[in-house]
Amino acid sequence: MKDFDVCIIGSGAGGGPVALTLAEAGYSVVVLEKGPWFSEQDFYKDELACCRRSVYTPDLRDEQHVIEDATDNGGWDATPTSESGWDFWNGNCVGGSSNFMSGFFHRLKPVDFHQLSEFGPIAGANRVDWPISYQQLAPYYDKVERVVGVSGKYVPHKNIEPRSGDFPYPPTAEHAVSGWIDQACKKLGYHSLRVPRAILSTPEGNRRSCEYSGYCGSYGCSSGAKGSSRAALLDRAVATGHCEIRPHSKVTRLLSDAKGKISRVEYIDTRTDKNATQKKYLDARIYVVACQAIETSRLLLSSTGPAFANGLANNHGQVGKNLLFSAGGSGSGDFNYAGLSDEKLNALKQVGPFVNRALDDWYTINDAALGKGRLKGGIVEFLFSHPNPTGKANGLKWSDDKLRWGKPFKRKLEEWFTTDRTLKFEAFNDWLPTDDCYVSLDNSVKDRWGSAVARVRIGYHPHDLQIGRYLVDKGEQVLKQMGAVRVDSSASGSPPANLVAGGCRFGNDPGTSVLDSDCRAHEVENLFVTDGSFMPTGGSVPYTWTIYANAFRVADIIKAG
Amino acid sequence: MNRKPRPQHRPCQQLDQLSDWRQRLFTRRQLLIAAAAGSLAAVFPQASVATAGSTKKLDPWPLIDAVQQQLFPNEDHAPGAREINALGYLKFVVSDTTLAPEDREFITRGAAWLEDMAQQMYKKSFLALSNTDQEKVLQRIAASEAGENWLSTLLLYIVEALLTDPVYGGNTQQRGWTWLQHVPGFPRPPLDKTFPRLLS
Repeated sequence: MKDFDVCIIGSGAGGGPVALTLAEAGYSVVVLEKGPWFSEQDFYKDELACCRRSVYTPDLRDEQHVIEDATDNGGWDATPTSESGWDFWNGNCVGGSSNFMSGFFHRLKPVDFHQLSEFGPIAGANRVDWPISYQQLAPYYDKVERVVGVSGKYVPHKNIEPRSGDFPYPPTAEHAVSGWIDQACKKLGYHSLRVPRAILSTPEGNRRSCEYSGYCGSYGCSSGAKGSSRAALLDRAVATGHCEIRPHSKVTRLLSDAKGKISRVEYIDTRTDKNATQKKYLDARIYVVACQAIETSRLLLSSTGPAFANGLANNHGQVGKNLLFSAGGSGSGDFNYAGLSDEKLNALKQVGPFVNRALDDWYTINDAALGKGRLKGGIVEFLFSHPNPTGKANGLKWSDDKLRWGKPFKRKLEEWFTTDRTLKFEAFNDWLPTDDCYVSLDNSVKDRWGSAVARVRIGYHPHDLQIGRYLVDKGEQVLKQMGAVRVDSSASGSPPANLVAGGCRFGNDPGTSVLDSDCRAHEVENLFVTDGSFMPTGGSVPYTWTIYANAFRVADIIKAG
Repeated sequence: MNRKPRPQHRPCQQLDQLSDWRQRLFTRRQLLIAAAAGSLAAVFPQASVATAGSTKKLDPWPLIDAVQQQLFPNEDHAPGAREINALGYLKFVVSDTTLAPEDREFITRGAAWLEDMAQQMYKKSFLALSNTDQEKVLQRIAASEAGENWLSTLLLYIVEALLTDPVYGGNTQQRGWTWLQHVPGFPRPPLDKTFPRLLS
């Protein structure tokens, strides 16, 4: 007799759909989450808590990563994040980083599922086709709209992915600047896209609708409107009576037997067991790992056993490989207050409603200027800066490389805060999978409990920068057409730590992939991985909707047994 | 300078703290080495050994108060450090257990070095100097890396006192928000949901 039918490790967007689906089907489910269990009653619009102290993420002195970035002479420089301050944690609490997302949601497009066939190989990139098609995932994208809650409006559009019917929730309130973007795009011959949001525009169950405080991305949601795994899925899973969530439960290893099956999970209570001296164990019929890509690979690599000398499911050396980020570049422009009519000024200054606009005209690029035939491109997403006034103000103390203070500093603050508003855009193109972007275990740096931390090499393919540059140029054109000043942009190969996938890619060949098309490990029959780790290529949008959809798909596969 | 350029593209997250972090790291390491060797002069190179050795008797807070007012002076239309309770806020910061001990040391020991510099330059306490002379001491300090980092750290916490929620002790009567026309989010954190409470 096992303790549970299903043990899920990690409670974010990869874990929540499995917990809800299987708990509703009557399975006994336990969710082990390393962090605490906050609720709406704990989330306030507090910049110190969200963004300037380690409240929702570990203290880097206790738990960190080692990041390897490229040196100028072709080598790799490894820096522990406790020294660099470059935090790769994204929300260690029940619901994971989905608590803190902005929730602008994009589906992948059909072309993302067969990039190799569609666009051909690129030297130095491990481009592959997916083992499933868009059509297989589409019903689960629909399910996310209903169950997690996605607000939007279906507008026919030249690049829109096939979908059935309109959204279940009307669009969230939109900012006046959204109309300005539409006008500018129309003049330029571009097709601005109305972006759906995983934020409730109308109440549902125990969740209130959005209250438009404007403090959304990177803040926890006080109303329950944001479609976090916690608010949308886990609270309901617990209500079935079949799902138990154990917060403060840090899994250290998955133990496996000589046949290569997981026999039990080893974990510690982070509140009471500072030195990992009182390890706890439980067993289940099926184990589901969803710790976000880097930590999922780390857990498998740490879980050696009689059949797995190099880590669980890693007899072909694929675990941790082909890590992906969602990146490309970014830009911004300012709208000066001076000279605006009162009406327009008030509209521009409004805080709360969403921008909800993106461009996907260049999702595939066929432009002689790039000279390479048809290429995979990406999207340009418009947004206001996240509301972090302290962070912004602190940056203004530097004038070039010199410290500024006193009245000159105060004049600079007045200028930044009171004379204009900045509109940003972010470009997302594919982060090509390469041999220079992967997760391994660090040989010397350990976490607080003595486990080797993840060492992450963050190399990127130069092709990514070329596409990123192409996209940010388009973003700049729109801002200039809108009348923005100080328009600036850059393409970048620097990884956004919060948008990460890959490392356990799925595929049909056990020699080149960790998971099969059902996201079950090729080598371990009672192991599934349901976070973003499964993605062999990332597509040109943030991953969250796809992670939710795929986790619902895998949950149905487990249920079908 | 030990200030690495920060990554430019990091959607949905804030990096503003990063450059400060990287920069402070170097000084904090020096401080730890110096503390082990018992020599403040090793951290703050221009400090005389005599004053450095007597730092334990020095109350750093009146000095820090004076420096804060120099860094963020009051004006008719705009609050200064005292008007936003920057000193009280900084005392909260150094009492917070999430702050690394070496960061706490760095903040308070820097005051001793400042006082030493004032003595060297004017044979007077920093507190007894005119505005102009205080400014000259700050300029002199800022010319060294350790000194610039110390002032940079004080500015960081002045800015936090200016723009974070008044529940943390700064931003008195929302003067920072009012001056910079900043619209705060809601709901705002009550006393029992401040971040140290959430961590406990």
